[in-house]
Amino acid sequence: MTKKTIEYEVSRTPELGMDFRPTEGVLSAAELPEPDFGSENMLINIGPQHPATHGVLRLVLELDGETVVRCVPHIGYLHSSFEKLGEYRDWNQIVPLTDRMDYLAPLIYNCVYVMAVEKMMGVTVTERCKVVRVICMELDRVFSHLLWLGTWAIDVGAFTPFLYAFQERERVYRLHDAFTGARITTSATRVGGMMADIPDGWAEGVRQFADTLPNTLDEVETLLSTNGIHLGRTQGVGVISGEDAINSGLSGPNLRASGVPYDLRKDRPYYDYETYDFEVPIGEHGDCYDRYLVRMEEMRQSCSLLHQALDRLPDGPINVDDPRVVLPSKTDCMNDMESMIHHFKLVMEGVKAPEGESYFAVEGSKGELGMYVVSDGGSKPVRWRVRPPSFVNLSAISKLVEGGLLADVIVVNASLDIVLGEIDR
Amino acid sequence: MSDDLKTSGSGLVGGLFGTGTPTFLTTKVDFVVNWARRNSLWPMPFGTACCAIEMMASAASDQDLARFGMERMAFSPRQADVLICAGRVPYKLAPVLRRIWDQMPQPKWCVSMGACASSGGVFDVYSMVQGIDTIIPVDVYVPGCPPRPEGLIYGLMMIQEKVRGESLTRHAEHRFEDPDQAGRPEADDEEVRALSGPFGNSTRQEESAGLVSEGGPATPRPLIP
Amino acid sequence: MTELVQSEPEGVGAHPTVPALREAFGDSILRHEVVAGDEHVVFVEPLRIVEILRWLKETPAHLYDFLSDVTAVDYGGGRPIQVVYQLYSIQHRWALRIKAELPISELEIDSVVPLWDAANWLEREVFDMFGVTFRGHPDLRRILMPETYAEGHPLRKDFPLRGRFTRAEQTRRALSREPKDYYIPADLEAGGEPQLVRWQETPEGPSEESNDR
Repeated sequence: MTKKTIEYEVSRTPELGMDFRPTEGVLSAAELPEPDFGSENMLINIGPQHPATHGVLRLVLELDGETVVRCVPHIGYLHSSFEKLGEYRDWNQIVPLTDRMDYLAPLIYNCVYVMAVEKMMGVTVTERCKVVRVICMELDRVFSHLLWLGTWAIDVGAFTPFLYAFQERERVYRLHDAFTGARITTSATRVGGMMADIPDGWAEGVRQFADTLPNTLDEVETLLSTNGIHLGRTQGVGVISGEDAINSGLSGPNLRASGVPYDLRKDRPYYDYETYDFEVPIGEHGDCYDRYLVRMEEMRQSCSLLHQALDRLPDGPINVDDPRVVLPSKTDCMNDMESMIHHFKLVMEGVKAPEGESYFAVEGSKGELGMYVVSDGGSKPVRWRVRPPSFVNLSAISKLVEGGLLADVIVVNASLDIVLGEIDR
Repeated sequence: MSDDLKTSGSGLVGGLFGTGTPTFLTTKVDFVVNWARRNSLWPMPFGTACCAIEMMASAASDQDLARFGMERMAFSPRQADVLICAGRVPYKLAPVLRRIWDQMPQPKWCVSMGACASSGGVFDVYSMVQGIDTIIPVDVYVPGCPPRPEGLIYGLMMIQEKVRGESLTRHAEHRFEDPDQAGRPEADDEEVRALSGPFGNSTRQEESAGLVSEGGPATPRPLIP
Repeated sequence: MTELVQSEPEGVGAHPTVPALREAFGDSILRHEVVAGDEHVVFVEPLRIVEILRWLKETPAHLYDFLSDVTAVDYGGGRPIQVVYQLYSIQHRWALRIKAELPISELEIDSVVPLWDAANWLEREVFDMFGVTFRGHPDLRRILMPETYAEGHPLRKDFPLRGRFTRAEQTRRALSREPKDYYIPADLEAGGEPQLVRWQETPEGPSEESNDR
C-alpha cells in the first residue's frame, strides 16, 4: 500500500503575501492580559438560516469577548425522515431517496445503497457494472469536493474560486444529465446493475473532464495555497490530533488531515480498488489548511482513477443475468407473455430480498459512508440505516471551535465539508 | 454638477433621453412604480436542500442570474423583495420560514422552488410541511425535483410579469397582511387538510402498513403536560 | 436473520476476535452469527455492554478503536429492539458488529460515550428515534425532532408514517412554538434571556417586529 504525505510547498511562514498570524515575541490576542471589566458572557445564535452554515445548521455560541467558550450545535432543521420512508418503499424505490440525501455526491449514495443490498442478496454484478460504478463514484467525489472548494473559498473570504468551481461543476452536471437525465437527482443505479448503460460518447466526455480539471485546480491553487490571508485564516485553526479524531469518529479527509491513513478504498477494498494505482494524501497538522490540501490532492487522485477506470472499461452487459432482480428487456415483454408477467410482478411486488442483513461501507466524499440494511424476506426493508459521515464529523465541531475565535467558527465549519441533507436525514 | 446647472440655466440638464433642453415623460404612476419594482427584485435565498444547490448553480458562472441586471442576493430578509424557498421544509424549520417572511418589508413576493417546497414532494411523512403555502402565501411555484436553473430564472421572470400587472391602488388590498397574524399559519385547518391529504402512492403506503384505518388522519392527543 | 447457531458458524473464515471474546466473557456472549457472507455479528448481554466494548477497544490484540455507528433496529410486533454497534479496528482492519437486545418494556442500556466521543450524537439519535435511554449519557435529549415533540419516537414500527396528529395540528404546533423552546436550559443559564422580541400577543398590540406595510 502506498501512502503519500503532503509536502508543504509553502512554508509555515509564507514569504508571499502578508502574514497575519502572530509571530514569536508578539503576544497573540488570546495571550494578552485582559483587564477585568466585570463583563458577562454573551450568547450568539447562528442560523438556522445563515449563508455560512451550509444549509440549516444552527450553532449557539457562548462568547467571552471574541473567544468561543462553548458551542452547542442544534441540528434536525432538515429532518426529512428518509429512514422511515424507506420502510415503506421497495428495495429499488429507495434509490431515488438516496440521492436526495446527499445532493452533493448523489451517485456515490446511489451506488453504495445498491451495493449493500446486493451484498445482502448475494448478487454479484458484472465487470462492466463495477467499472462504471467506480467511474460514477470518482466523478462524484470530484463533484462534491468542487462544491466544497467553492463554499470554502467564500467562507474564507475569496469569491473567485467559487466561480471556477461551479464552471467545472457545470461540466459534471452535463455528464450527469447525459447519463441519467437529471442534473443532481441521478437515481442511476438499480439492484443488480445500472438504470441504463452509459450512452455513446459519455466515456470520452468523462475523459476530457478528467484531463482538464487539474488545470483548473492549478489555477485555484495559485489563488489560495500561498495566499497570505488564506494561510492566516486556516493554518493552526481547528486543530485536532489523530487520536482525538479517531475517538470522535471523524472519517474521510477530515481524519486523514490529522495524519491517520484510513481510507476504505485501501483498507477495505471493494470493486477492485486494490488494483488501481492511486495514493491517499495524508496531512500532518490536522488543521483547516491540511483539510484543504488533502481535498485538493484527492481531486487530482480521482482524476487519475477516472483515467484508469476508463482505460479498463470492459465490454459486456451492464446488468446481471439474474431474473430475480433485473427486468426483462422491452422487446421480450412485448413479444413474450412470460416475460411480461415477470416484468409485471417485479414492478408491482418489487425485488424480494432474502432474510438477512448487511452493513456495507465505502469511502464517500465526506468519509466512511455505510449503509445498513435489514430484511425480513419481503420486498421492503425492515430497517434501512445510513451511517452518516457528515453527522459524525459535525459532532466534533464543539471540540474544534471552543477556545478559538468567533471568526474561526465559520472556517472550521466550512473545512468539515458537511451536507445537512445527510446530517438530518 | 453645479457647473452643468449653471450653463444650462433651466434647472435640469440631460433628461431621460439625451442632453439639451429638459425633457418630459408622461406615464401612469402604476407603470413607473411597477417598472422600478420589477427591475430591482432582490431575492432572499432561503435554501435548505437539493434545490439550494441548483439555486447556487443559477447564481454561478454558467447560468449567471445577475445577467438581468436586477437581482442582488440579499441574505438579510429586511432588505429583500422576493423570498425564494428552495428545498424541503420540515415542521422544525416552519417557524423560521414564517418569521423570515414576516420580517420582509412590503411589497414582497414568494417563489416556491421545487416539488418539496410546493407540495411536500416524495416526503409525505411525519416531519415535513406539505407545501409551504400552508405557512406563507406563495406567488410562483417552480416545479421540478430539483428545477433546473432555467426553471428558477423563468420563475423570477414570472414574478416580474406579475409585478407588471399590479396596481398601486389595489396593491395594499391584495397584499394586506394582518400584523396580528404574524407567526400564524397561512392556511386554516380545512385548507391544510385539503392541501396535504394523502394521495396516490402515499395512500397505498398507509393501507399496506395497516396503520391508518380509513385514510383519515389520526385523532389529536392531548398535549404533554 | 440467518439461522441462529450456538457454536461457531462453519464455512467461513473464523473471526479472530470472537473466540477471545467468548473466553473473556463466557456466558455474556449470547450468540454469534455470520451474515451476508463475511459479516460477524455477536449478541451480548446488555448489562455488560460497556465492559465488553471497553475490552474490545483497549485489548492490544484487538484494538477496535473506531466506532463507525450506533443504531437500533425495531422488528415490530413487540419483539425486542436491537441496539447495534459497528466497530472497526484501523490497525488490524477487522470489522465486528455487536448487538444488544433490549425488551420493549425496558429500553435502557449503558452509554458508551465515556469510551468514544463519537457515540454522543449517535446515541442521542437512537434515543430520539427509538426511545432507548442511555444511562450515563452526558446530554441525552432529542436531536433531530424538536425538543417539545409530543408524538413519540418515529422509527418505532408502531409509529404511523404521517405522524400521530393531523396535518393541521402539526402545522399549528410547529408555528406556535415559543422562541425559548429553541434553546436548551444550559444556553439560557449562560447568556441570560435570549435577545428575542416577543412578537405575538404583546399587550400593547403588535411589536416592532411586525410587518412594515
